[in-house]
Amino acid sequence: MTDSHLTISRRDLVFSLGGSGVLAIGAAVLAATQRAEAAVATRQVQYGMLIDTRRCIGCHACSVACKSEFNVPLGLTRSWVEYIEKGTYPNVRRSFLPRLCNHCRHPICVDVCPTGATYKRKEDGIVVVDSDICIGCKYCIQACPYDARFINPETGSADKCDFCLHRVSQGVAPSCVNTCQGRARIFGDINDPDSEISQMLNTNAVSVLRPGQGTEPSVYYIGADTADEHYRARGQYVDVSTHRKQQDRR
Amino acid sequence: MLENLDWGLPVISYLFLAGLGAGAAVMSGAVLLHGGPTGWHFSLARYGALLAPIPVAIGSGLLVLELGSFQAGHMFKFLNLYKLINLSPMSIGTWLLTVFLIASVIYAYTYARPGAKFDDAFKDLRRVMAWIMIPLGLGVAIYTGMLLGAMPSRPFWNSPVLAMLFLLSALSTGVAGMMLMRALFHDRSLSPDEDRQGGYILTSADTVFISLEILILFMFIMFAHLTVGDVGYAITVILGGSLTNMFWIGVVIFGLLIPALIEIKYIFPKLLHHRQFTVPHRLEIAVPVIVLSGGFLLRYVIVVAGQITGPVGI
Repeated sequence: MTDSHLTISRRDLVFSLGGSGVLAIGAAVLAATQRAEAAVATRQVQYGMLIDTRRCIGCHACSVACKSEFNVPLGLTRSWVEYIEKGTYPNVRRSFLPRLCNHCRHPICVDVCPTGATYKRKEDGIVVVDSDICIGCKYCIQACPYDARFINPETGSADKCDFCLHRVSQGVAPSCVNTCQGRARIFGDINDPDSEISQMLNTNAVSVLRPGQGTEPSVYYIGADTADEHYRARGQYVDVSTHRKQQDRR
Repeated sequence: MLENLDWGLPVISYLFLAGLGAGAAVMSGAVLLHGGPTGWHFSLARYGALLAPIPVAIGSGLLVLELGSFQAGHMFKFLNLYKLINLSPMSIGTWLLTVFLIASVIYAYTYARPGAKFDDAFKDLRRVMAWIMIPLGLGVAIYTGMLLGAMPSRPFWNSPVLAMLFLLSALSTGVAGMMLMRALFHDRSLSPDEDRQGGYILTSADTVFISLEILILFMFIMFAHLTVGDVGYAITVILGGSLTNMFWIGVVIFGLLIPALIEIKYIFPKLLHHRQFTVPHRLEIAVPVIVLSGGFLLRYVIVVAGQITGPVGI
């Protein structure tokens, strides 16, 4: 009796446990689905770029495309390519580092702007400059650790890469991405786990420039050579040059 | 050395002139509130009050000349600065500077009449304005250092001590401005004793400020020198780099040590042996001119050094 009672009791227990378990799992699945839906609805888009320097041949098609897209004045650049040469024969390497605004998660240029002319767009995370408001005080130029900004002499306001906002907002890839011969540039929403760029970021060793500045860039690199002219102090030959007006990297 | 720099002579001059005016306003307010109805307190406060708005106004005008919008022909676009206030040091500084300029003109006005006396019709307004000028002047002197110091991308500037250095340089150049005014526009209403006492107080105050400035400069350099990475690299520009001579000979020896030593030579006989304080008239003009030049050179070296150095590596 006692045994059967116990068995029944166990069966009851199992049933009740199982029932509540099923309920709990169901509730959890429901909640998770709702959370996921909510997350999709409220997820911030953050456009970013991944530059695979192994595929970059230094052809400057991106620099030229950018120049013609925005009619950037002579000597100034929104997008540029640095040449990095190092080593002594036969152990040498020449590599290319395409550069542009990093559209940082913590853009210090936005923090220092006294007029609110530069801001990070909520809808896509692109950092933009409103040239109607900007007075050209150059504070953002000083604050940017990537030297991405300059004064456009025609408008008198700060200018820089805006990920081709006019194209991107129409669903077209930025000009530099569109023109890249080696498909070295991948553009997309880095907050969308299904985007090509997110998958590439998750399956490759990537880096950002000057991570110590705490700006958390949205532009990532594969195989970026961080060799710098300071390496010369080690007795190593290093040369970094650009085609910008000031030829040295800043 | 200034080519390709985003902030050149106008900004350097502004930092110097705003510091000079702010320092003079603070010292003027302090001397007026500290002193009683005796002649020399009022006389010194008057020099400071009449001086203060002029360099600040000139400096602020120079800032507009450096704006990209002004250079592109948009003369009044800088007024966008007044459309909002945010936490940018430049936005806070703009409002602070504007309030300072208005207040300093009112404060100067209370002294402006040729026969202004300690207990004339403006006595109360003058005291209220003096209380306002001290915090405003300190704010204008400090914010410029905060403005430069706020950026990790400029390791030479990115130091909390920089604002303190600018404050002390502002006070010492402000006092030097008052010393120069005293030497140039000799106040004949004062007795020789009162006149000497005024000169003694200004000279002692300047010596104290310059001494503290040397101390802060020492901390600034040592902390940077003892750091590795960005800051340690940036400081090498004045420790063997391209600005070494200008900094050590121009700022430290010419701008700080020489005037401090001359001032000490003339205040020690009174301080230690209670002898009469007398300074040759030529030196009464030369010393403040040297202090002012040193203050300008300090701003020059710091503004240039910050822009020709940057983070190490990429």
